Formats: sequence, structure tokens, C-alpha cells
Amino acid sequence: MTVTPEMIAAFADGELGADERRRVEAAIAADPELAAQLERHRRLKGLLAARYAPIAAEPVPDRLLTLIAQSAHAETGSGEVVSMAQARARRSLAPMVRRWLPVAGPALAASLVLAIWQPWQGSQPAGYADSALATVLESRLVAEQPTNADPRILLSFQARDGSVCRAWRSTADGGIACRDGTGWKVTRRFAGSPEADREYRQAGSDADILAVAQEMAKDGAMDAQAERSARAASWLNLR
Amino acid sequence: MKRTRPAVSSIRKAWTLTQTFETLLVDLLPRMRRFAYGLTGASADADDLCQMAIERALARRDQWQRGTRLDSWIYKIMRNLFIDEIRATRRRRETFVPDEAGLAIGAEGGQEATVELAMIDRAMLRLPDEQREAVLLVMVEGCSYKEAAEIVGCPVGTLNSRLVRGRDALMDLLEDAA
Repeated sequence: MTVTPEMIAAFADGELGADERRRVEAAIAADPELAAQLERHRRLKGLLAARYAPIAAEPVPDRLLTLIAQSAHAETGSGEVVSMAQARARRSLAPMVRRWLPVAGPALAASLVLAIWQPWQGSQPAGYADSALATVLESRLVAEQPTNADPRILLSFQARDGSVCRAWRSTADGGIACRDGTGWKVTRRFAGSPEADREYRQAGSDADILAVAQEMAKDGAMDAQAERSARAASWLNLR
Repeated sequence: MKRTRPAVSSIRKAWTLTQTFETLLVDLLPRMRRFAYGLTGASADADDLCQMAIERALARRDQWQRGTRLDSWIYKIMRNLFIDEIRATRRRRETFVPDEAGLAIGAEGGQEATVELAMIDRAMLRLPDEQREAVLLVMVEGCSYKEAAEIVGCPVGTLNSRLVRGRDALMDLLEDAA
């Protein structure tokens, strides 16, 4: 079989099907000239990665973040601006956050008020979310929460029985709670992840929670508008 | 395993659907900057290009269909802006690297790594735009040939030949200079 330079290139780019890939592999093993061609491709790719990867790792200029943040602010008029600052913090650019404080301040204050004002006074029956969590479940919309809100609402959906359920996760735990006449009944609860390996573990347990949500859900996740109307109906049975 | 994987990925997709457009855009910024630097040749134009792309994306957000890839949509906006705005302005300014400028200029005395980076920039700038964008999309951004062709708006075969030509030229330029 003749292996064209195009095939070598496609091989290097992972664009060949299994059959062709095996054939090119065999040809390369048998022909040092082809192996050298492949090596040139790999070297070039390495050079390009060395050149461009650091750019993606640089801090994003404030003016670009501000552009997006302003739009988010206009769109929701909410604490979304905070999440822009937090998106930065997540990329370990914490010092920049200070500059955002004047903007984020009011939103932070608003969340403090929320924490103090709890419609779910007193203790909740066993099996129900405690008043702090219930307050978040009752009030917080996915679209309006800061990126690293804690607890953070992952999504809302309607279960097969018609009740509205919401998946949350916090540093301590995570799970799914469904609203009934009494409160937010916790149907599944997952233990939280240790601080070490946080990025990795969190991704894993988000997936666990989402997988359960998938099984319980009648359809997909609610979009921002459906969530808003569900909240207006106190999360009670929408038909 | 086989049974749960699709379930997780589709609810993940559903989850993405609940993220705001702005959050998704912020997550893309590092890659947008990388692509912009590649297109413009690591110049001050790169962040201008990002800024224009963000403005256009926000203005036309309704044209993006949720559930389709936002990154491809943004790359498309960026390469169109590059051609319509940046390149046009440059033609007027004529500040391009002179054609015969040697690739190894500045090779003496500098740090080896810096020299190499500058060499790559110059080599990339020598490529025709269509070859440069093909090389960037596939070799740097990791697009498949099909995705790259869709972004550029040409048949896959055309994309493929631009890629091969661009890549050959780069290998020659960089190896000659080395």
C-alpha cells in the first residue's frame, strides 16, 4: 500500500478510521522514511503547542471580562457580576478579585440578607432539608447564582410524579431534594468530597448527582424561564 | 459503565443548557485569546479581535442554538472578524513583516526559547491566512477536519489541502532556520 503524505498528516491528527490507522501504523513501522515524516509532524505540533499553550494560560485582560460582566449584569440585574470575579479566582487569579469588590459588594450584601432571612424557621422533619438548605432551594435560581455558590444548585427538573426537584451540591454534601407540602424532601444525599483533589472529585460527584437526576426526571432540566415560573408557583406541582 | 455513560453525558448537556451565555463565554476566553494570537501573529490586535468577537457574540446571541457547540460558533465569528476588520485595517497600515525578513533575525544573544517563539510567529505570519487558520484550528485548537471546515466554511477536502500546504511550509521554514 502507498501511504501518501496526506495520510501521514491525517494519522498524526487522529483523523483516520481504525482500519486505515492500522495500515498506516504497519507502513510506518516498516519504512524509516515514513517514520521520519511522522516525526516531523509531531515535532511541529510540539513547537506550536509550546508557542500557543502559554497564551491560554495567561490571565484574561480585565476589559474582556468587564465586557461580558456588563452584559450579564444588564441581562439579569443580579449577582452574576460576582461570578465573573469568581471565574477569575478559579483560575487562581485571586488578586484581581479585589478590583471587583466595589461591583460585587451589593450582591454579596444581598446574599447575606438571604442567609439571615429564612422562611424555614425552626427544625424541619427528619428526611427534609434543614432550614438553611431549604432556604437556598426555595429561593436560588440556577441562572442567578455566583459560579461558586455554596451550596450551588446544579439544576431543577420535574420528576415523573410531577413534583419539582432540585439537585444541589456544597462542600459538605450534595443531593436531590423534591418539594412537597411540608418542605424540601431529600430523596438522595451524597457525601461531600475531601478538600484534596477537589477539582477532580467534584467533577466526579457532580456526575453522580446528575446521573440520579437523569433517572428521576420526566424530561430534561428546566431552563431559566421554567425555573422562574416554578419558583413563582413555590415549586409545587406544575402540570 | 456502558449503560450509565450516555445518561451522564446527556444530563451534562442539559446542565450546560442551564448555564448563562455569559458564563459559557467567560470559560471560552482563554481559548479565544490563543486563537486570536495565532491569527494575528501575537500582536496587539489579538485582544482587539477578542473584544470585537465578544461584542458580536453578545449582540447575536440569539443566533447561537443552545445544545450546539459554542466554541465552533465563536471561532467562526473570530475568523470572519479577522478577515473583515483586522486584515483590512492592516492592509491600509501595511505593517506586515517584510517578506524577505529572515526568520532567524534576533537569534544572537537572546534566550533560546524566546528566539524559537519569535521564529514560530514569523513563520506563521508568512503563511497565507487560509493556511494559517487551518493549521491553528486543527493543530492548536484541536478541531477535527470536519469541525474546522465548518468553521471556515469550506469543503473538508479544501481544508485538508490548505492544512497540508500550511504544515509543509511551516516545517520547511522552521527547519531551514534551525
